[in-house]
Amino acid sequence: MSAEEPPQNPNDTPSLERRVTRAGRHVGDRYVRIVRPIGSGLRGHGGHYVATEQTMAASGRLGRAWQGALGVLIGKRLHSEAEAEERVGVETGLPILASDNISSSAYATEEAMRILAIAGAGALVFTMPIALAVVFVLAIVVLSESRVIRAYPNGGGSYLVARENHGVIAGLVAASALLIDYVLTVAVSTAAGIAAISSFAPELHPFRVPIGVGLIALLGVGNLRGVREAGIAFAAPTYAYIVGMAAILLIGLGRVYVGAIPPIAQPPHPFDPVGTAPLTVLLILRAFASGSVGLTGSEAIANGVPSFKKPEARNAVITLLLMGSIFASIFLGLTFLATQLGIAPDADEIETVNSMLTRTIVGATSPLYFFVQFSTAIILLLAANTGFTGFPRLASVLANDRFMPRHFADMGSRLAFNTGIIVLGVLAAIILTAFGGSVNALVPLYTIGVFLAFTLSQSGLVRRWWRLRNKGWRASIAINALGTVVTGTVLVVVAVTKFQLGAWMVLLLIPLIVALLYAINRHYTNVQDALVITGGEQRLPILGAPAVIVPVARIDRAGLQALAFARSVSPDVKAVHVSTSTESANEFQRRWQRLGTDIPLDIVESPFRSLVAPLLKYIDAIDKSDDRPITVVLSEFVPRHWWEWFLHSQTAMRLKASLLFRPNTIVIDVPYHSSDTGDLAPGPPLDSAH
Amino acid sequence: MQPKRVLVALAGTSADPDVIRLVASIAKPARASVIGIHVIEVRWNLPLDAVMEPELDRGEQLLESAKKVADQVGISLETELLQAREAAAAIIDTAVERKCDLIVVAMPFRKRLGRVYIGRTVQNVYVNAPCAVLAYRQEQNA
Repeated sequence: MSAEEPPQNPNDTPSLERRVTRAGRHVGDRYVRIVRPIGSGLRGHGGHYVATEQTMAASGRLGRAWQGALGVLIGKRLHSEAEAEERVGVETGLPILASDNISSSAYATEEAMRILAIAGAGALVFTMPIALAVVFVLAIVVLSESRVIRAYPNGGGSYLVARENHGVIAGLVAASALLIDYVLTVAVSTAAGIAAISSFAPELHPFRVPIGVGLIALLGVGNLRGVREAGIAFAAPTYAYIVGMAAILLIGLGRVYVGAIPPIAQPPHPFDPVGTAPLTVLLILRAFASGSVGLTGSEAIANGVPSFKKPEARNAVITLLLMGSIFASIFLGLTFLATQLGIAPDADEIETVNSMLTRTIVGATSPLYFFVQFSTAIILLLAANTGFTGFPRLASVLANDRFMPRHFADMGSRLAFNTGIIVLGVLAAIILTAFGGSVNALVPLYTIGVFLAFTLSQSGLVRRWWRLRNKGWRASIAINALGTVVTGTVLVVVAVTKFQLGAWMVLLLIPLIVALLYAINRHYTNVQDALVITGGEQRLPILGAPAVIVPVARIDRAGLQALAFARSVSPDVKAVHVSTSTESANEFQRRWQRLGTDIPLDIVESPFRSLVAPLLKYIDAIDKSDDRPITVVLSEFVPRHWWEWFLHSQTAMRLKASLLFRPNTIVIDVPYHSSDTGDLAPGPPLDSAH
Repeated sequence: MQPKRVLVALAGTSADPDVIRLVASIAKPARASVIGIHVIEVRWNLPLDAVMEPELDRGEQLLESAKKVADQVGISLETELLQAREAAAAIIDTAVERKCDLIVVAMPFRKRLGRVYIGRTVQNVYVNAPCAVLAYRQEQNA
């Protein structure tokens, strides 16, 4: 009843579509059946197709199970267009990008006190002046960073500012410093979070490393789910910490005001009250350098401006100001109360100053004590999230500039930079383990990177304002010049005072990372130079038929299929068989003659029983006598089940691996699936199959 | 009646998911195969095999949606996209060619001039199909 007609114009027919015209039952009832890949997941026509989510669906039980597990763990795959929805406002941006800085208020006081306590309990009176100095530096940093955000609303932070204004090397120094600092942010914050937990659950102290590694993994998974979802999950604990600390500060300040000071909580293992070292300027500077740990994380907002909803720059500046105000209030309040009440740090880091202060103010059995400790632990852990937000984003910027491997710029299924997140998690876990999960051991490594990046970006902005001299340039230069001097001074102080304690490692690592980034860039530039098409090479080169070699192990269906394919590629085909004995070589020769093919056969005898090495030498010999590229066609038997691979010698696989890096060689794999029937004409059996 | 092969005509209206569920309730106990088709009507001023991209996109999408609904209700839906001058003729011809013993057509509840409106395609299929025809009219408030 129907007749098939070819399409009128083949050019009108898209490659994935077949149109068949059918005659209906009546005259004029003709219709066209459009055979399209409906259900394949490809949508579109006319040679332009869009892959839908359906194409990502795994086949096979194992694949589906893995995909299902991933779906539960990191969520449903997001469309690229959903990126705008993944952006965050001020209320979500604060916990995501400012939790590191805000959480530093939980331990910055203690870090300064621990250094001063070396000189005895009397030296602790310097804690408050040091805290004021730290807050002064923070104010300068916040002011200067707001200029960075306005000048570079597309993010990139210190790296971009330094690169554009001081050159590539300065940019890479800033980037390396920040990358190190982000890794340390994760390690230090996790260690500090566990320290807060072990303050009210000391039995967990010996397990701080495995717990820390587990928590880093948890944070990594949370970030693989995407920025917005991570922010929503992390918002509540951040705000809980702010509320809890505000309550403690209000109650504590009220008690100090009315003079109702309760008995002071004592550290389990106090420092020597007389001190073990004299109080020197260097010691005070060291205490300031340790207290400056509270300034870390303030660069994350400038680096992550594109994470904000529009207007990005305005939202970022508001978040930055909120962050600075919240940190300063909590840090100054805690320091004031700790010094007023006479809290001293614990030498063994078992109980934190924060815990002792809260215990003193509200009592160890108060629900508020547990609330504050728990929310402190959570925010310290979430502070690590700033590293998870900053590192992958900075790495993606570096990857786009070809200073880091390209994978760092690829977005995962949830529009997060998966490679950066995973690499950061692994590095942070290694560092946490190497330093035994001790905050005190990790802190000296910290802050150098941040202040180096700050100094480079501030001085870079000074040069920018001087170059542009646009409206308000004098005020901008004054702010950023002050920022350069202050952050530069802190950098020198931190580097000098913490050098022997571990800062030397960071100072050594920065040039090494710069060299690595530079080497990666040089590689990509060389590759591009080798691959880029010049104006004279716009047309496709015309190549002659290649010289084809077909290694044949056995005369079977797989071998015949490879020979047939080789014949379709070139008329110049040569078969080669490696034989381990003269008898088997003669036997193969006889079978080959019975095959009746005109393809010439070379036999290589290998009395040492090696198959691959003689074959490679044979290919070398052919290559020397022929100017054309060598094409090696390999027949490969593909078993039905994965476990059947172990039953086959996989010579083709080994040969393929050996030929992969051989110049002037094209390798074509002709797989023969056990279910293939092929188009080979049936004939008498020539050889036994596999 | 125990149909062996059911053809369901999909027009891309809100009645489509309902009609697939209805077909599932018939086809599943009878173990019948189900073919879902959508016919793009080509105007007479265009060649019959003209490439009409928006209509093709729409047709493809509605067939994909139908497949999803079919998966949800546990039937396998084979889909086909056609171009014809008259949808009814193409539906009937496909049903005959594919040896279908039941055609299911759907129509949303529509009124014209105060009376329930049954479209031209449903009427023609109803009148001319050699096999059984089931016409499904959507609820008034759907």
